[in-house]
Amino acid sequence: MEKVSVWDLPDVPEGQLPSHIQLQRTRVHCNPDAPTHTENVQYSGAYSSVGVDNSLQLEQFRKNFRVEVIRLGKEDMEFDMIGVDPSLANAFRRILIAELPTMAIEKVLIANNTSVVQDEVLSHRLGLIPINADPRLFDYKSENDDPKENNTIVFKLHVRCERGGPRLTVKSDQLKWLPNGSEFSLETSAAKSTAKPKTYTTFHTSQETLHDFSKKPIAPCHPDIILSKLGPGQEIELEAHAVKGMGKTHAKWSPVATAWYRMLPEVVLLQQVEDERAEKLVKTCPVNVFDIEDVGKGKKRAIVARPRGCTLCRECIREDEFKQDVALRRVKDHFIFTIESTGALPPEVLFTEAVKILEDKCERVITELS
Amino acid sequence: MDMEEEYDPAYNEDEGEDITQEDAWTVISAYFDEKGLVRQQLDSFDEFIQNTMQEIVDESADIEIRPESQHNPGHQNDFAETIYKIKFGQIFLSKPMMTESDGETATLFPKAARLRNLTYSAPLYADVSKRVIKKGHDGEEVTETQDFNKVFIGKVPIMLRSSYCTLYQNNEKDLTELGECPYDQGGYFIINGSEKVLIAQEKMSTNHVYVFKKRQPNKYAYVGEVRSMAESQNRPPSTMFVRMLSRTSAKGGSSGQYIRATLPYIRTEIPIIIVFRALGFVADKDILEHICYDFADTQMMELLRPSLEEAFVIQNQQVALDYIGKRGATVGVTREKRIKYAKEILQKEMLPHVGVGEYCETKKAYYFGYIIHRLLLCAIGRRAEDDRDHYGNKRMDLAGPLLGGLFRMLFRKLTRDVRGYVQKCVDNGKDVNLQFAIKAKTITSGLKYSLATGNWGQANAAGTRAGVSQVLNRLTYASTLSHLRRLNSPIGREGKLAKPRQLHNSQWGMMCPAETPEGQACGLVKNLALMVYVTVGSAAYPILEFLEEWGTENFEEISPAVITQATKIFVNGCWVGIHRDPDMLVRTLRRLRRRVDVNTEVGVVRDIRLKELRIYTDYGRCSRPLFIVEKQRLLIRRKDIEALQQKESPEDGGWHDLVAKGFIEYIDTEEEETTMISMTINDLRSARENPEEAYSDTYTHCEIHPSLILGVCASIIPFPDHNQSPRNTYQSAMGKQAMGIYVTNFQFRMDTLAYVLYYPQKPLVTTRAMEHLHFRQLPAGINAIVAIACYSGYNQEDSVIMNQSSIDRGFFRSLFFRSYRDEEKKMGTLVKEDFGRPDRANTMGMRHGSYDKLDDDGLAPPGTRCSGEDVIIGKTTPIAQDDAGQGQAASRYTRRDHSTSLRHSETGMVDQVLLTTNADGLRFVKVRVRSVRIPQIGDKFSSRHGQKGTVGMTYTQEDMPWTVEVAAHMGKEGDATPFTDVTVDNISKALHKCGYQMRGFETMYNGHTGRRLTAMIFLGPTYYQRLKHMVDDKIHSRGRGPVQILTRQPAEGRSRDGGLRFGEMERDCMIAHGAAHFLKERLFDQSDAYRVHVCEKCGLVAIANLKKNSFECRSCKNKTDIVQVHIPYACKLLFQELMSMAIAPRMLTKDVKLAKDLKKRGA
Repeated sequence: MEKVSVWDLPDVPEGQLPSHIQLQRTRVHCNPDAPTHTENVQYSGAYSSVGVDNSLQLEQFRKNFRVEVIRLGKEDMEFDMIGVDPSLANAFRRILIAELPTMAIEKVLIANNTSVVQDEVLSHRLGLIPINADPRLFDYKSENDDPKENNTIVFKLHVRCERGGPRLTVKSDQLKWLPNGSEFSLETSAAKSTAKPKTYTTFHTSQETLHDFSKKPIAPCHPDIILSKLGPGQEIELEAHAVKGMGKTHAKWSPVATAWYRMLPEVVLLQQVEDERAEKLVKTCPVNVFDIEDVGKGKKRAIVARPRGCTLCRECIREDEFKQDVALRRVKDHFIFTIESTGALPPEVLFTEAVKILEDKCERVITELS
Repeated sequence: MDMEEEYDPAYNEDEGEDITQEDAWTVISAYFDEKGLVRQQLDSFDEFIQNTMQEIVDESADIEIRPESQHNPGHQNDFAETIYKIKFGQIFLSKPMMTESDGETATLFPKAARLRNLTYSAPLYADVSKRVIKKGHDGEEVTETQDFNKVFIGKVPIMLRSSYCTLYQNNEKDLTELGECPYDQGGYFIINGSEKVLIAQEKMSTNHVYVFKKRQPNKYAYVGEVRSMAESQNRPPSTMFVRMLSRTSAKGGSSGQYIRATLPYIRTEIPIIIVFRALGFVADKDILEHICYDFADTQMMELLRPSLEEAFVIQNQQVALDYIGKRGATVGVTREKRIKYAKEILQKEMLPHVGVGEYCETKKAYYFGYIIHRLLLCAIGRRAEDDRDHYGNKRMDLAGPLLGGLFRMLFRKLTRDVRGYVQKCVDNGKDVNLQFAIKAKTITSGLKYSLATGNWGQANAAGTRAGVSQVLNRLTYASTLSHLRRLNSPIGREGKLAKPRQLHNSQWGMMCPAETPEGQACGLVKNLALMVYVTVGSAAYPILEFLEEWGTENFEEISPAVITQATKIFVNGCWVGIHRDPDMLVRTLRRLRRRVDVNTEVGVVRDIRLKELRIYTDYGRCSRPLFIVEKQRLLIRRKDIEALQQKESPEDGGWHDLVAKGFIEYIDTEEEETTMISMTINDLRSARENPEEAYSDTYTHCEIHPSLILGVCASIIPFPDHNQSPRNTYQSAMGKQAMGIYVTNFQFRMDTLAYVLYYPQKPLVTTRAMEHLHFRQLPAGINAIVAIACYSGYNQEDSVIMNQSSIDRGFFRSLFFRSYRDEEKKMGTLVKEDFGRPDRANTMGMRHGSYDKLDDDGLAPPGTRCSGEDVIIGKTTPIAQDDAGQGQAASRYTRRDHSTSLRHSETGMVDQVLLTTNADGLRFVKVRVRSVRIPQIGDKFSSRHGQKGTVGMTYTQEDMPWTVEVAAHMGKEGDATPFTDVTVDNISKALHKCGYQMRGFETMYNGHTGRRLTAMIFLGPTYYQRLKHMVDDKIHSRGRGPVQILTRQPAEGRSRDGGLRFGEMERDCMIAHGAAHFLKERLFDQSDAYRVHVCEKCGLVAIANLKKNSFECRSCKNKTDIVQVHIPYACKLLFQELMSMAIAPRMLTKDVKLAKDLKKRGA
């Protein structure tokens, strides 16, 4: 850059940030070596010297905040969250991964397992199966609680590979839901009781009658998860008890495969890139961010056609050639959010649930403070 | 020359395409398909079973017994003399068998042997004939012959997958049905249920002349030595030294450079000329002819002058022999005896490999002369001194020769015992029963002892080598393979000498350059490279016959003068003659070898400068296959590769066919020195295309692939040629500690320790050699996504941060198995131990662990969860009631507890229980306990580049940094074989194609704050290994705990809940700090504090009864002046030990007391 004496610089207009400071405030600069200006300026009086108020205003936030859904599928969604601080976006991400409850198998009662898969390994595999049951309809089960219809889902798995038959693959659809609770009786009570033998659960009513499970029976989300393989003569008989839990306890309770965001890429051509250089620039990008525009008279010009697609591979600015022409930036308050659900709840519900949890948290803070 | 025509296979230029380096892998596959990975072990053992054993039996002389004449008054013997002759003939070996205690015999399978702690061995039978020759008084002979067919003489342990193993040539399906792992290569033995490998032992080759220059100042200037050992001779080699004195000897007198020789059993050195005269070559001319062949060689003649002058006084064979005899072991015997003794030594002990029979003098003189000739060549400077570390001078003793030596020794012992027994029978006039005479136990237990303990040789005999047989490492498949290909040099580990430990040029392609341990055994323990073949030895006879036929002149036919013009021919180090057209001879020999008319493992070395042709047929040479090159072109063509690829059954074609067709030959280390080997096939092509720039225009061979110089462990490393060399060595050591799946039948095995990974993955980046190491089928690691970054600081100094969510989902989880074993031992004939639940009412010495887990049979059933110190095998021994006699209280107890409990630091589930009987028919149990090991902070992991680290922190998914997107990879393996032309740019381009950043750098977001990291992070999938070192096996602390019985100091070691040693360096530290009280607390109060009472009069320990408050020193009749002293128990112990040696250690307390009193008064 050209060297200019401080005194020769134009005056900074009052109540408005100089352009380069504004750029640093709102954009992450992706330089060839590393990104810079990743931080956000939080201090309300940071720019008071130039008469700019940096405090967070609710009205302002309300006006600027937007959510735009880009894609919504059964199991995944992509939406833009615009006008928030990364701390807030990250809070949603973290809540989605770790603090939204789901149901997952926690206890496995193995009556018989002669397969090659050891009890522990089989149990671990069962635990990771996503269960298609709305966790909002269940309570958390604490250590001292009896397993009841409102906190436990019981599945049964009984498969046997007949001798002389072919080998068998046990898949998740062979897990059968027991709406009436466990069928295994407790050994101690079996001796004396005359009526119903005591089992490992104390269900008062069938879960089928509760809520709308009759319409949508509880089952694993995916029918084709391989649990084990059985050779002739081998058998598995077990009962699996699923309870409500959170991702921070164990990843099996996480309702999302993953949830992540990225900042909106901004690719700017600082100078005109024309003709052969334009074509060359288009070629350098592996994801086709640039395109060519005809400006007539056989002249061509490079334009930024698909900035959203930029993966920040920085191929375009790796060589010296375009370093001066292209600027790669990220918009600091624009997040492209992606949620991949494991299947228990649809992604949009997950997000609203996450918002609720954050709300609860805020309320808790407020009550604690007051 | 028509010879030339025949030698050159009629080939024309367009006989098909050249092969590419890729095609070489087809050849390599053919090799491994046919040979497997432990061929050296199997070949060596097969040679022992099929030939060596019979040879050993044949070479043992008949046992001849003459009765010691017993005078029997009044009884006239019918015969003047009776001679018993016993001869062992043909031997027979059956398949491995097992005889149960009830006498039932059945074939034994390795699985049963492993599980039931049996020995996998096969009975050996021999035909034995007994002849009784009775000589009448009239000289008439009557011979009675009695043949015993197939007499059992012992059991021989059988190597798995060798030709006598029950698994030999079984296919994969059969093996699986037998409970074997189809990937297991065999090559080991099963002794008492444990798998034993015989580690190859390196030694110097025998019958080889070495000349060394001595570092001055030294009495000697040059030393020539030969370690001579005749074939099939079980004696330590007899070494002969020929030394040339320094010009100025140590005593100062500038005597000439005498040359003297050391003969076996002769105390002093003998001047060489005297040795010649003793051999019958008296005239100076004769002698010189045998040494320097050419009288025109004045330089050499001059060097011999002092020696000639030295021996001037002895000018006669008898005098010379007497001279030698006088310096022998005989003292004070007649001259005749001395001469006879000297003759005997010259005939039998000197250079036995040349001959031990009569009339070997000419040969011996020539050989002796040759040694001196070599010495002189070195002294003149025409030839450099020999290299002790050259691999051509090394031989390897594998399972075959090792067992051969042992078997020879044991068979001798057997025959000696037979002789002793028969002699006794004969002397006592009893009938000779051969069945009783042959003690099969000699061989059975002799072989078993050595294999079980690793002490090679007889029990409690001197000169045995330890550690020859080792328990096969079953941690991971690669470690098993590597163990089976290990090699040991039995040189003292303390030796500071660096030379034998260094990588030698001649080890190229034979020994892995990377795989060696660090520390004491560095460079002494080696591992075989992938394609090494160790010769098993073949007969020298066909070679000798061939040489005879092709015009070799032996010593009787020639005059020494012609030697200079001809080439000397050696077979296995023995000079057999000379030849005047060595060119033709070598060509013919090589041609025959390539046609397999001569054994392929024969080594042909033509040393043009020395004018020697050395041919080797002995065992233990390292050799490796190479492509044969003629006229800068490989003999193997494209069409041969195609034929190989299209072959249907393993029988037709294959590797052996390639060798038989003369495309490939085995070259040993010594012969390698006479070849010109091109590194790659491309080198050969470019040499052909522009000969001016070629490195060589006389290539004779071509490497099959340069990456085959590596061993098993180093072949697993991707791009080892881009690593710093010690990293490869580190990884070679670490790869052996990685867990994965060590064999496919691990569920059927009861190994004492076993680690199995939940979800092992094949590596994304592989080498070609891995294919043959079955690393894909039995992997030992996981492809983890690894980022190189600073993140929270919990990954400093060789540690890593791991994703807890991934761990939750099963990342690097593993199973750990430990087996416990016990048996019902027999005590005497009637009393036997019993498995069962011990009863507190009648059992003495019960453990404090829980007995609740036991069933009625005394064993914990499968599925039982048990934790530290829980009893899992209950066993009791009855106590004999009569000697229980500890008063009336003892009668309550009838049994003593001998149960086995779980290790106190471990928990787990009982996985499997095996109850069976062992070889003695005793009940025998093995219990396998399983536990899950989830990665946690402190567990050790490593990449495949010697980069190890422990887990410093686990973060859940939300706390980990993340990147934009994880795209799908190419779905194929990357090739990372060394010495290929994969470059950084190639990889970059491939990465880019898949949408990744070109150099692997990605931008990432901080999981804690959600902001962008201000750095690009290098990220990518990396194959990681979980190593067996885990915190749960190491964590240890102690406040109070068990003490040793003798010293009452805290016990040592985690397994005994011992203390943490406050060692001498820690002690020094405290002294430096002046922390006296702390020091006393550590070393005394917290260790073995003890209190004794001392008589003030005599200073010895007094009797104290604290309850009655009475104190007494009986010898002093003192009941009042007694003081209490605090001393370490170890000190008290020392005092008592001193007293037992009649030393009175007196503790004088008076002065202390006085000082104290004074102090009190003063205060």
